[in-house]
Amino acid sequence: MSDVYLFQLASQRTQWLSSRQALIASNVANANTPGYAARDMQPFSAALDAVHVAMTTTNPGHVAPAIDEFDPGRPAEDAGADATLSGNSVNLQDQMVKLGDVNRLYQETTGIKRVFHQMMLSALK
Amino acid sequence: MIDPLQSSIKIAGAGLDAQAIRLRIIAENVANSQSTSNAAGGDPYTRRTVSFASEVDRAAGLPLVRVRSIGVDSAPFRIEQDPGNPAADAQGFVKMPNVDVLVELADMREANRTYEANLQVAKQTSDLMNMTVGLLKDV
Repeated sequence: MSDVYLFQLASQRTQWLSSRQALIASNVANANTPGYAARDMQPFSAALDAVHVAMTTTNPGHVAPAIDEFDPGRPAEDAGADATLSGNSVNLQDQMVKLGDVNRLYQETTGIKRVFHQMMLSALK
Repeated sequence: MIDPLQSSIKIAGAGLDAQAIRLRIIAENVANSQSTSNAAGGDPYTRRTVSFASEVDRAAGLPLVRVRSIGVDSAPFRIEQDPGNPAADAQGFVKMPNVDVLVELADMREANRTYEANLQVAKQTSDLMNMTVGLLKDV
């Protein structure tokens, strides 16, 4: 846990959104591939829960646990998708909606980063 | 592993490539929908088909799309009675290509739609990158 946790959180959020964007890109590219199953990320909160807070070592005898890096998570098959005759379960409309979601949330996250940065700058003035 | 946003653009690019090849094949089919054989009684143009496969890209860690094969349609040729045609056999029958223009047009619309979707992904990914770069402005 760093002193100013919000920057780290915002950066993890950005990482997760970028991974989701790549996954959507992959789904859209394979929209006409026979037998391809659409996939989606696990929610951000689940990826965040997987990161454990590192314990401090106060004694040379303590074994420092491996630092958990943030992992955007493994993509899983989209459960709600219906497959077509060719076994493809990508729904382009769905993917476009998700693309819009990612865009909006990314904008929100960069907005938060900017505002937080301005806040720190105003403390310096 | 490269930046997911960069791999998104790469993946969308692969999608655009694949759909462009599909559109080219559709154009070939439509252009040759009346192409008969040069020899009398010979086989005419055979409809081409495209099939896609997903392929995991090592750098991106996600499946890209590629054209697996360009095959030929094994549907029977249309037979028309046209004794005046140079490609007609002794009985006056001409083998016409097994291309149905209506099917090709429907296929074209689908390819077009997927092409647009891939383009949208590429555009939006560059928007996301610009948002991050935009953080450097007006500080």
